[in-house]
Amino acid sequence: MTGLVGRPVARVDGRVKVTGAARYPADDPVPGALHGFLVTSEVAKGEVTDIDTSAALAHPGVVAVLTHRDMPRLTVPPFPYLKGFIPMQDTAIHHVGQPVAIVVANTVEQAHEAAALVAVRYRAERPRVVIDDAAGPPHLPPPFRNRPNEIKRGDAAAALARAEVRVEARCSSATRHHNPIEPHATTAQWDGDRLTLHETAQGVNLTKGTIAAVFALPVENVRVVAPYLGGGFGAKGPLWSHTIINAAAARVLRRPIRLVLSRAQMYTMAGHRSEFRQHIRLGATRAGKLTAILDTTTAQLSNTDEAIFNASESARLLYDCPNVHVRQEGVRLDVATSSYMRSPETTAHFGLETALDELSWALDMDPVELRRRNHTEFNQETGQRFGSKHLLKCYDMASQAFGWSQRKRKPGATKDGDEYVGWGMATEMHTFGAMPSNASVTVGVDGKVVLRTATQDIGTGTYTIISQIVADAMGVPLDVIQAHIGDTALPVAGLSAASATIASVSGPVDRAARAARDAVVGLAVADERSPLFGVPADEVETRHGHLIHSRNHQRRDSYRAVVSRAGEPVEATGSGPNLPGLSYGVVFVEVRVHARLGSVRVTRVVTAHDIGRVMNRRTARGQVIGGVTWGIGHALMEHTVYDRNSGRVVNPNLSTYLVPVCADAPPALEALFVDEPDPGSTALGARGFGETPITGVPAAIGNAIYHATGRRVRDLPITQDKLL
Amino acid sequence: MPESPHPATTHTRRTVLKSTAVAAAGATLVPAPAVAASSVPAAAPTTAGGVAEAMEITLSVNGRKHAVTVEPRVTLLDALRERLALTGTKKGCDRGECGACTVLVDGERIKSCLTLAVMRQGSAITTVEGLADGDRLHPVQEAFIRRDAFQCGGCTPGQIMSAVACIREGHTGSEEEIRQWMSGNICRCACYQNIVAAVADAAREVRG
Ligand code: FES
Ligand code: FES
Repeated sequence: MTGLVGRPVARVDGRVKVTGAARYPADDPVPGALHGFLVTSEVAKGEVTDIDTSAALAHPGVVAVLTHRDMPRLTVPPFPYLKGFIPMQDTAIHHVGQPVAIVVANTVEQAHEAAALVAVRYRAERPRVVIDDAAGPPHLPPPFRNRPNEIKRGDAAAALARAEVRVEARCSSATRHHNPIEPHATTAQWDGDRLTLHETAQGVNLTKGTIAAVFALPVENVRVVAPYLGGGFGAKGPLWSHTIINAAAARVLRRPIRLVLSRAQMYTMAGHRSEFRQHIRLGATRAGKLTAILDTTTAQLSNTDEAIFNASESARLLYDCPNVHVRQEGVRLDVATSSYMRSPETTAHFGLETALDELSWALDMDPVELRRRNHTEFNQETGQRFGSKHLLKCYDMASQAFGWSQRKRKPGATKDGDEYVGWGMATEMHTFGAMPSNASVTVGVDGKVVLRTATQDIGTGTYTIISQIVADAMGVPLDVIQAHIGDTALPVAGLSAASATIASVSGPVDRAARAARDAVVGLAVADERSPLFGVPADEVETRHGHLIHSRNHQRRDSYRAVVSRAGEPVEATGSGPNLPGLSYGVVFVEVRVHARLGSVRVTRVVTAHDIGRVMNRRTARGQVIGGVTWGIGHALMEHTVYDRNSGRVVNPNLSTYLVPVCADAPPALEALFVDEPDPGSTALGARGFGETPITGVPAAIGNAIYHATGRRVRDLPITQDKLL
Repeated sequence: MPESPHPATTHTRRTVLKSTAVAAAGATLVPAPAVAASSVPAAAPTTAGGVAEAMEITLSVNGRKHAVTVEPRVTLLDALRERLALTGTKKGCDRGECGACTVLVDGERIKSCLTLAVMRQGSAITTVEGLADGDRLHPVQEAFIRRDAFQCGGCTPGQIMSAVACIREGHTGSEEEIRQWMSGNICRCACYQNIVAAVADAAREVRG
C-alpha cells in the first residue's frame, strides 16, 4: 500500500486547470459549429400570438430562426427532466424567460444581434410569481419520486399541547439561483440518427437517457461529453430545455450548433431554489428534551410541475423526537421550474436550528447542551441503530477549538469598536445519494494505468480521489495513472449530485483496480521469464509500480515489464453496490454587526464533520470553505427579486444578485474532521459530503446575530436594512 | 447584451424566406423552418443591417502576432476564444461582473469582455496560456496548485491573471489587502481563503 487515500494529495487536474488547457464543454472545438442564441419570453403568462423573424433572418450571418412553428414534435421526458413541458412546442407561455425562438448564425455576435431583432407579440395575462400573490391557499402536492410530502410520527399536535415549553417561529427565504461561474453550454452534433452532445452536465449518463427519450432514439445512439465542468451546484444535474431546443435545431439544420446561455438567461432557464416559508413549532420538557416537532413549509412551485426540493429532512431525522409532523406544501405560480440547489435542505433546516436556538434561550440552556440532550443513535424512521455516528465528537472538537465555553450568556453583551460581536452555532446534516457505477482499469504495455468511468468532476476532486484509490489498490505511483471521466463512451456511472460521487464510484474503482492488479500478478507468476515465476499469487506485494515477493524482496518484477512481455494491455472492470446515507457536523461562527450600518461580517468559523473516512483532506476542506461561504451568501446576501407586475427577475446578473466575493469569506476558518471510517460504507469507509457543510451555516449566523444584538431575524437573507 | 425581443419590426430589406432550403432531418417530420436566403461567412465584410464591416487586425497574444478578421463589435474575449481558439480565458457573465475573462494588456489586468478586440491592436496581451515558461509554471500557477486555490477551475484563469497583476501592483501587503484587491474575481466554488494564501505565497516568491 502506498497509502495515498486519506492524504492531502494535490489535485491531479491542477496543471491543466492553471494553464487553461482543461477543455470545458464550451471550449471543445467542434468543426463547422454554428452558434445558437435563444429568444425568450418577456411575459410570464399568456401566449405567443405572432413572431416576425424577417428582420433577424435578414441579419448578415443568420442561418435560420426556428420558432414553435418549425420545431419537430418532441416527447416530454420523465425525471430527471423537471420542467413538465418542452418550450416552443406550442404558443403557451408559462413563465418569463421561456424560450420562444432560437436564432442560428455563423458567429456569436450575429446570433445575439439577430435574437434582438425577432419581434414577438403576446397575449399577456397578469402573472402571480411570489407566494404572497398566490391565488389560493397552499396545497399538499403528490409524492415526488415516491417521497410523500406529509410525514407523521406519533401525535405531534397533542404532544405540543402538553409540552412544558413551546417555541414557535415563522421563517422565510427568498428565491436563489445557483450561478455556477460557467454558464450552461451545449453543442449538438448529429450524424444521421446519432447525437453527440458536448454538454455542461453533472451526469453524462442521466443526460444521455433523457435526451434519447426526447427524440425517441435508442440510448446507445447518444454520446454526452463533459470532461470538465465549471461548477454545477445542482443547476447542471437535470436536463434543461435549452439543450433540447438546440439539439432539435441542429437536427433540422443538419449542422452542429453551440448554444451558451447568457448569465441573465440562467435566471429563468435552469432551475432555482424556491421562495420558501416555514412555520415551525417545537415542544420540549423543561430539561430540554424535544417532545414535538411540527414543521409546515410552503414552496414556490411553477405552473407546470410540483416537485418540492427544499425538504424538511432534518426535522424528521436529526434529533430524537417521538412526535413529528412535517407538511411540505406549495403554491403554483407563473415562475420557471425550481430544482435542486446545493444542499436543498438548508432552507428548511434554517427553521429547525433557529427554533432550537430560541428554545435554548427560553430554557436558559447552552445551545450545544440542548442539542446533545436530543442526540440520537437511532434512525428516527426505521428505528435502526446507526452503524457509525460521531456527531457528539464533532460538538466536542469544534466547541473546544472555537472557545465556546467563553461565550457570554447574554445577547448584546460584547462590543468591539463600532461592532457588536456574537457567537452562534448549528448542527449540520445531509443525506447523500449513491448511484450504480462501473469502472475499468487498463494497464498498458508501457506500464501506464488508465482508469475509465463515466463519473464527473464538478470541482469536488473526483479526478484526484479516484486516482488515489487506484494508486493504493494497485501499488503504483500517481503519475502513471490517467483518469478518463465525463464521457458516456466510458463505463456507466452515476451523476455528480446529492453528494453522491464518492459514495457511487469509490467501490467500483477500487474493485477494478484490484482486479487489474490481480490479473497482472497472475501473469507474472505464470511467466517463466519473470523473477516471480512460481510464487503463490498471494505472496506478491505491489508497491511503487513493482511486484515484490513478500518473503524475498530480491524477487521482483514491475507492472511495465510484466505487461510488456505479455504484449497486450491488461484490462479489468469493477462494479458493485453503493449505499446512500447521512453525514453530520457542526458549525460555530463569530459575527460582527455594525451598530449603525447593520452590516454583518462573519469573522471566524470552526466546523467539525463526521464524514466517515476522509479520502483527501484538501479536497474535503475545499468543500467546507466553499460550503461555509455558500452559507454566508444564503444568510446575508443572495436573493432573486421578482417584479410582481411583470413576473420578471429584476436582478438577473452578478452585480445586483450578490454572491460572496473574496472580501466576504471569513478570514479565519478551521475545518476539523472526525475521520473514522464508516464500517457500513461501500466507499472504502467514506461517506458523501459536499453538501453537508452549508446546511447549518445560515442558522448559525442568524443565531450569532441574535447573540450579538438581541435581534432575531427569521427572514433570509438578513440584509442590512433588517438590522437597522 | 441585447436581449429585448421587442425591436422595431420594419426591417424587411433582404428578408427572404426560402422554405425549401433545408429539409427536415432524419425521420422526424417537421414544418420547414425559416432559413436565411444567403448566409454570410463569418469573416465576410458587410454593411448590411447597420453592421460595420469586418476588418483584419493584428493582435499580439502571448508574444505571438495573430492576424484576425473581426467585426468592430467583437470583444477581445470572443476574439481570443472564438477566433484564436485560446479558450483558457473564460466567459462567466460577458458584462464585467465576474472576472473569469481577466487577461493582462500591457501588464495591466482588464476584463476582456469589456473591451473590443479592435481597441487592443498594438498592445501586448497575455492570457493564462502564455504565463508558464515552457514546462515551468509561473509562481502564481504553482501556488494555486500548492494551496488548492480552485475547485471547478472555471474562475481560475481569471483569478490567476488577476493575481499576477495584483502582485505587480503591490496590493499584497497583507491578507486583508489581498482580500480586497482580489474581490473583482468571483469564485462560486468559493476557494477564497486558499486563493488569498496562494496570492500571498506567490507574492513572497515574486517580490522576494
Ligand atoms: S466574463 Fe468578463 S467579467 Fe465576467
Ligand atoms: S474554482 Fe469554481 S468558480 Fe472558482
